Amino acid sequence: MLTIKGLRASVAGREILTGLDLDVGPGEVHAIMGPNGSGKSTLSYVLAGRDGYEVTGGEVRFDGDDLLDLDPEERAQRGLFLAFQYPVELPGVNNTYFLKAALNAIRTARGEAALDSVSFMRLMKERLKVLHLDETLLKRDVNAGFSGGEKKRNEIFQMAMLEPRLAILDETDSGLDIDALRLVADGVNALRSPERSMIVVTHYQRLLDYIQPDHVHVLAKGRIIRSGGKELAMELEEKGYGWITGEEAA
Amino acid sequence: MNAQPLGQFEDWLPGGGAIDLPGADLDWLATARQRALASARALGVPTARHEAWRYTSLKGLIEQAFTPYGAAAPGARPDDLEAHLIAGLDSHRVVLVDGRFAPGLSDLGDLPAGLRIAGLGQLLSQDPDALQGRLTGVAGTGAHLFAALNTVAMRDGLVVLVEPGVRLARPIELIHLAVGTERPGVAQPRTLIALGEGAEATLVERFVGTDEARCCTNLVGEVALGRAATLGHYRVQTEGAQTFHISALHIALESQSRYRGLNVGLGAAWARTDLVARFAGEGAECDLSGLYLAGDRQLIDFHLDVDHAVPGCASRERFKGVLHGKGRAVFDGRVLVARDAQQSDAEMVNNNLLLSANAEIDTKPQLEIYADDVKCSHGTTVGQIEPETLFYLRARGIPAIEARRMLCLAFAEEILADLRPLGPLHGHVAELVGARLERVAFD
Repeated sequence: MLTIKGLRASVAGREILTGLDLDVGPGEVHAIMGPNGSGKSTLSYVLAGRDGYEVTGGEVRFDGDDLLDLDPEERAQRGLFLAFQYPVELPGVNNTYFLKAALNAIRTARGEAALDSVSFMRLMKERLKVLHLDETLLKRDVNAGFSGGEKKRNEIFQMAMLEPRLAILDETDSGLDIDALRLVADGVNALRSPERSMIVVTHYQRLLDYIQPDHVHVLAKGRIIRSGGKELAMELEEKGYGWITGEEAA
Repeated sequence: MNAQPLGQFEDWLPGGGAIDLPGADLDWLATARQRALASARALGVPTARHEAWRYTSLKGLIEQAFTPYGAAAPGARPDDLEAHLIAGLDSHRVVLVDGRFAPGLSDLGDLPAGLRIAGLGQLLSQDPDALQGRLTGVAGTGAHLFAALNTVAMRDGLVVLVEPGVRLARPIELIHLAVGTERPGVAQPRTLIALGEGAEATLVERFVGTDEARCCTNLVGEVALGRAATLGHYRVQTEGAQTFHISALHIALESQSRYRGLNVGLGAAWARTDLVARFAGEGAECDLSGLYLAGDRQLIDFHLDVDHAVPGCASRERFKGVLHGKGRAVFDGRVLVARDAQQSDAEMVNNNLLLSANAEIDTKPQLEIYADDVKCSHGTTVGQIEPETLFYLRARGIPAIEARRMLCLAFAEEILADLRPLGPLHGHVAELVGARLERVAFD
């Protein structure tokens, strides 16, 4: 479903991704691990289409189409979702209003009818229940004044509502204590399905104790230098990144 | 003092027929008018050399050659008003048509005990004693030339008197309806709102008109709050595209009183508003907030002058602006803390969102502090929509233009949220802001 070949990308003239290859099939969960500065967040942003990330080579196909040719909203409309490492606060934008605008923009782009308020509310309440989230979330402004854990859970809630076919979780574990991490991981696991692929980007192995990946890749200096099963993550945890990158542990 | 010629604005003064002004036989009013005339002559016509008019040119106003409406009552039909009413807003409604009280369009049935609402002209002829010591009591000769001219020439307007201890359940709604005549006319209405000790009221003041009307509003408002009185004052200016708007609102706050004013500036070609608040007793609070949207061929100017003359009072000034196209706005906020005004608390914020490279905002917050034990701050921002924020919305599937509109609305809503207790009014204003943003070409 997602095929990345020889992807090169620069930020402010500096090359961060240096020829990255990755294949993600339907329903697969891939973990991408790497030390700081290896290009993990750059990969997430390039896939989601953020301005300022210049692709200088290679290609990315999403269901056979050229992903890099699409605007960020078009990527989302086709089923790509990025859970942000630092979700943006939107004071004055109510969570319910925001999600309804997003879901209906996606549905309209796909030629589906917009959901009316009643069906939308029903869907929201159902998804809240699946994720064990409180209904007060619906009344709050998007991420405004949220704790780190609340922001990450709101990202997962958005993911549950928008039902992407490919979700990229960009260091979703960063800044979370173990309880918050478990809650977020439970949410992600509840959303696993044979139709939904995931790319879990993380620095630490501990998230993978809760989200079991099918494949683990090690990113260093802008390319994937080793791929394996989940045992690769264990090994990294034990030996540090230096074991593979040949450098001091980050 | 030098008597300066007032050029075009000589016409705004009542001519030899000043005798036909209501209250012409009242000595105290005649004295106030003479003082105001002397003040007008001393002030002269402001130019860009006057700090308070540096960014606000009078050129267009002078070119329009507005002349005052005559003594005859204006002829507005109920249809003219109908389009401007807000469904579901339950109020004591007063309508001024081109500055003149229109009893036929007003709805003043079921006034509770302790509330008096009357046209100014009417009251000046029927019960002038109710006005003596009050009318011009807060505004004096006025903040600037136009306020002085209003004082000299005022013939009608609105008077609201609330007896001590009376708490009004329903808001009072004042609608300034600009209809205009063949020639460009200026209306010079006057309002006086006086709340006795412990009284509580809500005033919704709306300025409406059509894009066809070529006219000018030159309003002076006076608000006198007795001890521990509370007024919520919600002003919404949505006048037509050819209208010029000048309003000077003077507020006097006795001890423990509370004024909460919200000003929305959306309409008119050229709009200048002065908000002048003076603390006269300790422990009072004054909240001035505002939202302005200015686009092509539009100037919106807010001047604030808050005088912490006594200790222990708090003021909040919070204005936000959205500028698009070639729109221009001016924010000039001044807070003065007198030497004896210890324990004053003042916080002024002005945030602006520039949606185009051709839009302009001139913002000037000023704190003048002469006391040493105070808590005062001010902050100004002028910026664009954050790319990171915009990306977040787009990454959720929301198209860029819609995302920008949502963010502008959210920016505005931080001010408009104060209207939420007045449900239908909040809906009305939010809808106007939304409709306006629909027409903005984001570039």
